[in-house]
Amino acid sequence: MGFFDNLLLSADEGITGLFAQWNIYSSVIFTFLAGFVTYQIATRQEPDTHPFLLARQAQASPVRQPGESPVYRSQAAPHGMPLNAGLGVKDPGASKWSRGRDGDLRDIWRQAIAGVQEEGPAQGTKGRILTVEGVQHVVEHSLDDLTRQINLIGQHILDQGGNRVAIYLPNSVELMATLFACAFYNLTAIILPFDQSADAVISMLRRSAADTVVTAPGSFPFDVVVKSYSSLRQLIWVVDEGSKHMDWNEVPEGTGGSVNVSTWQDIFSEAPVTSGKELPPLENQSEPRDVTIFWQGKPGETEEMVRFTSANLISAVAAQLFSVPTVKRIGPSDLFLPADSLANTHTLVLTLAAFYSNASVAFNSAAPQAANLSIAATGISPTIIAATPAALLTTHQETTKTFSTTVAKDLHWLQTRSLKDGIFPESGFLPNYYQSAFRPTFGTEPGKLRLVFAAERIGGDTPKLSSSVLSDLRLYTGARIIYALTAAKVAGAVAQTGFYDYRVFENEKQGCSHFGPPTTSVEIVLKDKDGYKNSDELSQGEIIAKGPCVAGKVASLGAVGYIRDDHTLAYA
Amino acid sequence: MDYVQQRVAQEAAKEGGASSALFTPLNFLLLGLVLYTTVSFLKPKAPITLPKEEPAVVFRTFTPRTLLPYNGENGQPVYLAVRGRVFDVSRGRNFYGPGGPYENFAGRDASRGLAKGSFDEEMLTKDLDGPLDPLTDLSRDELEAMAGWEERFLEKYLVVGKLVAVGDEDKEESKE
Repeated sequence: MGFFDNLLLSADEGITGLFAQWNIYSSVIFTFLAGFVTYQIATRQEPDTHPFLLARQAQASPVRQPGESPVYRSQAAPHGMPLNAGLGVKDPGASKWSRGRDGDLRDIWRQAIAGVQEEGPAQGTKGRILTVEGVQHVVEHSLDDLTRQINLIGQHILDQGGNRVAIYLPNSVELMATLFACAFYNLTAIILPFDQSADAVISMLRRSAADTVVTAPGSFPFDVVVKSYSSLRQLIWVVDEGSKHMDWNEVPEGTGGSVNVSTWQDIFSEAPVTSGKELPPLENQSEPRDVTIFWQGKPGETEEMVRFTSANLISAVAAQLFSVPTVKRIGPSDLFLPADSLANTHTLVLTLAAFYSNASVAFNSAAPQAANLSIAATGISPTIIAATPAALLTTHQETTKTFSTTVAKDLHWLQTRSLKDGIFPESGFLPNYYQSAFRPTFGTEPGKLRLVFAAERIGGDTPKLSSSVLSDLRLYTGARIIYALTAAKVAGAVAQTGFYDYRVFENEKQGCSHFGPPTTSVEIVLKDKDGYKNSDELSQGEIIAKGPCVAGKVASLGAVGYIRDDHTLAYA
Repeated sequence: MDYVQQRVAQEAAKEGGASSALFTPLNFLLLGLVLYTTVSFLKPKAPITLPKEEPAVVFRTFTPRTLLPYNGENGQPVYLAVRGRVFDVSRGRNFYGPGGPYENFAGRDASRGLAKGSFDEEMLTKDLDGPLDPLTDLSRDELEAMAGWEERFLEKYLVVGKLVAVGDEDKEESKE
């Protein structure tokens, strides 16, 4: 026999010998292998978005000024095009193809009461407006009643000679109604952060030159304010059901003789039933007035007063609406819960966006202080929450503790791997098991929550969230998370992470996730500052924002950032 | 065929059936395969990174003299200036670069030439250290022609700097 024959024979004998060892264990192992490969191939999913879109999220301008970085813009708002400035409101009778007006706050309420305009099964659907009181009690407000309240309150303030209206209320439907009343009745709204010391309130009233205050009894230091702030002309108490019977109009002797005191409920109930049903007409309406907002820095610092034009806010609303992909957009089937203070433009803008999308909105005055998401969502089942980073961080810590078993940890690891591959684990055997066995319930029904907004505040004392915490939270909540960078002079967000961006990074600076690309209504540029110098390789420095949602068009945000390789903004 | 029969007989003659042990070489092989497939399926893919973009061009202030080298020769980019704005026309190298019909404009202030529709040398400002061409003697049509060119340039090319006369470099831009 030749050499090859020998070789073949020994190969034959070897292989036969090897397979002669086949036994029951081999069959078990082989079955497992075949099953595993089949499962992997059968459940294979495409990433939610193309990975290239995450690999470079913003567009850099090809030319930069000396000492500055290139100008960065969202991929959806390329250089040379106008930034997203308006809602494209189409008046009744306008051509279907017309561009539409930018709109103002009045158009948001008009849209809310008109219902969905687009043709389709949802046409005409309106959102519901709810107030959560205590743990279980949920009150629904009829939109017609709210329209009447907006009209009557606006008219009342106007009749009493009011002009600059300070709103000192917790998150409530009255806060939004007063804001809309100011928009419709040509008044300047001033939104004060709630729960401040008497001195802070007086200082804010003085700086904003308010002549009217809408507030709730018990929280507003009436006597002190009347004594030390003589420009106050009128005051409207928003009293709750329980204390409605008391005579709030009575002004204590010797104090505030010149202040006209009334209650929200009286203005509403004493007016003829037929009055105030129609909003002021659209034709020949006056230019919208500014909205003044106080930005809270670290505790003890004086609040920064910022005047936003109506156009600023509207542009921010448009950018937020744009940030949610069309297939997942906010709609009438959503229930939005602002669980951060409405005195923050980010929360306010999101709430306005929810109104404009005809989503239902629930107000809970205790939600901004809630320690975690479950408490914030008490009594209802929100699908979208604007949460504080503090509540998210607590939720993360509390939930991580419950993942103590090996099974839980491994399953969590598997689901995280899926997220890292760009696939949000929504359905399938493992995600369903994860949902039923480990996920905490937020709200009254499990599995409803689908989107969480959270915002880092420049100069504020919000805790920072890292991308791995955000990734865990995506799994714990079953909701996508949009993490935004917000600043005093920018309505809404400066930059925010993409809806489909679930990537996790190690060693993040300051333990803080990146903030994604600029929104479609902002462009950012980084200016050399201290040791942070721009070069061909690196864009870093003080963050400057420009755009239609920035108060005064351009603002330095007072924080140092850098642009990462994927063109997202992060703290330096 | 003989061989096959021989082998079959050989195998049939072997004693005993398959072993019932877990740790046979075959099972090790299979377990190894399982491990390999598991790891290769479960290993998270590294996020995709795109190659870095070309770094942005830094906006510069040119004088007629510092603009001169940017005429497309020796691999330099091609710049030309229109009314104080310096355009990077390298993408139109065939027209504005060496050997192109507009090569006289490369590295120079092309305002007057574009306005008059002439590519001659005398359209260029001779004195590189003197003031910029004030263009005050141009007719309405010529100014219009120049504005048309400017508009086209703004659409097609990048503005990479501004042109000022020698000695004016540090002066703050007054218009804009």
